[in-house]
Amino acid sequence: MNGSDHNATAPWDIVVELKGVSKTFRQRQRSAHLKDVARNLFRPVIREVRALQNITLTIRRGEIVAYAGPNGAGKSTTVKMLSAMLAPDVGTVRVLGYDPVRQREAYVNRIGVVFGQRTELWWDHPVAASFEWKRVVWDIPTERYERMVGVVKELLGIGEFFNSLARELSLGQRMRADLALALLHEPEILFLDEPTLGLDVLAKRNVLQFVKDLNRQHRVTVMLTSHDMSDLEQLAERIVMIDKGRLAFDGDFDRLRREFADRRHLFIETTADRYPELTGARWIESVGCRHEYQFDATHVNLVTLLEQAATQTTILDVETHRAPIDDVIADIYEHWQK
Amino acid sequence: MAARYMRRLFALWCMYAWLDLMWVTRSFQSFVLYFCGETIVAIAALSSTLLLAERFNGLGPWSKPQLIFMLGYAALVFGLLDMFFGFNVLFIGRRLGRGQFDHTLVQPQPIWLALLTDGFNPFGASGPFLTGIILISWANSFLLLTPTLMWLFLFVLNVVSSVSVVLSVSFFWGSLAFFAPRAAEEINTPLLRMFDHLKLFPLDGLSAGMVSGLLTAVPVGFIAWYPCRALLGLDSAWHAPYLTPLAALGFGLLASKLFIQGMRHYERIGSQRYRAMGHRG
Repeated sequence: MNGSDHNATAPWDIVVELKGVSKTFRQRQRSAHLKDVARNLFRPVIREVRALQNITLTIRRGEIVAYAGPNGAGKSTTVKMLSAMLAPDVGTVRVLGYDPVRQREAYVNRIGVVFGQRTELWWDHPVAASFEWKRVVWDIPTERYERMVGVVKELLGIGEFFNSLARELSLGQRMRADLALALLHEPEILFLDEPTLGLDVLAKRNVLQFVKDLNRQHRVTVMLTSHDMSDLEQLAERIVMIDKGRLAFDGDFDRLRREFADRRHLFIETTADRYPELTGARWIESVGCRHEYQFDATHVNLVTLLEQAATQTTILDVETHRAPIDDVIADIYEHWQK
Repeated sequence: MAARYMRRLFALWCMYAWLDLMWVTRSFQSFVLYFCGETIVAIAALSSTLLLAERFNGLGPWSKPQLIFMLGYAALVFGLLDMFFGFNVLFIGRRLGRGQFDHTLVQPQPIWLALLTDGFNPFGASGPFLTGIILISWANSFLLLTPTLMWLFLFVLNVVSSVSVVLSVSFFWGSLAFFAPRAAEEINTPLLRMFDHLKLFPLDGLSAGMVSGLLTAVPVGFIAWYPCRALLGLDSAWHAPYLTPLAALGFGLLASKLFIQGMRHYERIGSQRYRAMGHRG
């Protein structure tokens, strides 16, 4: 499904383009029974895993795109393809006009890649030494290097641990240093795979704020994957979801909520302990005279619910909350699994 | 283009040398301990053959000074391998098997340039190299060689070729990790251990079949024995000094072919596993 208006963008503004991309991996299946030893060795059962199936996707310059999906949906396979590490079986991948695998050397000079569970830092050296390493390997002109060191020091606050050994940094500091390193050559696109994995709330907020600032001030296009949906919602306007290798949703978060049930919580405070019976809403609990319900705003009108309640009791106060995006996504994943 | 790559090559070597110097000199204690340790390891590695040569005043057709020359040559070859191909470049199976090759792929430079420079650690791995230089100088004080420019050229050519033979064989077997990452992750370890153990033994007197095997299937003869025979005049055939470079070319081609095939496989399959261990020390 690709119901967004992204396909209508001007072609010169498109920086990432996947057309009919498919990728299949072969997995050996091994029986745990002793009698199957010979078969495991000589005629193993091969299972084909379709990591990506006919994915067509475009990203415009300056967008922040959240790329989400359950475990094993194909997110990392996509990021690897966009990072010149993997070629598609079928279809084409074009980023900034390059074929990432065939034109790797020129291409990777214009992108930045950060994998949350990997580091490019030199473990036994100060962060400053990794920066110098990056300058030489990427052949970054001195003027650009010095300017970008200033930018990342300011945006990411890495000055305080610039001369500390990488192995002595906290996870949050390490991630900031890795992000800074990925930006020294001024990439036009940043691919972030689980950049907030394992970070505490503060470190996470710093990283997300940095990505936002970077996008706003330097117009860097960002594509990031994460399992933390509230992070993604804070950061990205657009979310692309894949499931079992297929594109399952492409649009904004509001549309996602609407399309997969706009679940809301309704709190009604009344004069009575007994909760009012509301058709179209599910009662959750009552604490004293405060009653909580859940309803789907795409099917039930809030006013109708309140009218029903008013006929049964006297209403003192009303509150509604949207369900957290994590709950919405969990429901979607559950729905996909059925 | 060639000039640009040469400039890049030296810039990268300088930078890696600087990183290595920073690491070696991180503290006075570790600096002293590191060099003591390296020296002990280098002496221990050479002592068995050196003691045998001392006891029998040479081995077969090799006089004691000639043997010392060969020991120095072997130490020099392994010293250069350690010095230029550290950080698991020589043990390439580990990088491939652990999924660490992805780090190389995101660098905007040719793979060969990355592999030629990534593992350069001229200070931290200088022990065997210096031992080799000292032993060769010591041997020369007995042999009284008066090297001509041509001899020096052949010496350098043979040393580089011996390094290339070991590197090529290591890459040949290590490339299997492209296809079987878990199984071949440590394939270079026993291979290089075997080379290390056998590199010091003169192969004279072995059967022709055995010598052929040790120059082809397991080419330990090219690490020191054969090139030293040629350089010291124990094999007077005109082509003797060129056999090791020729072998290096052959093994290099074979290794490149398999490595390139492995790269194509990697493009299709990628790496399903990743281990941070061993990546950059």
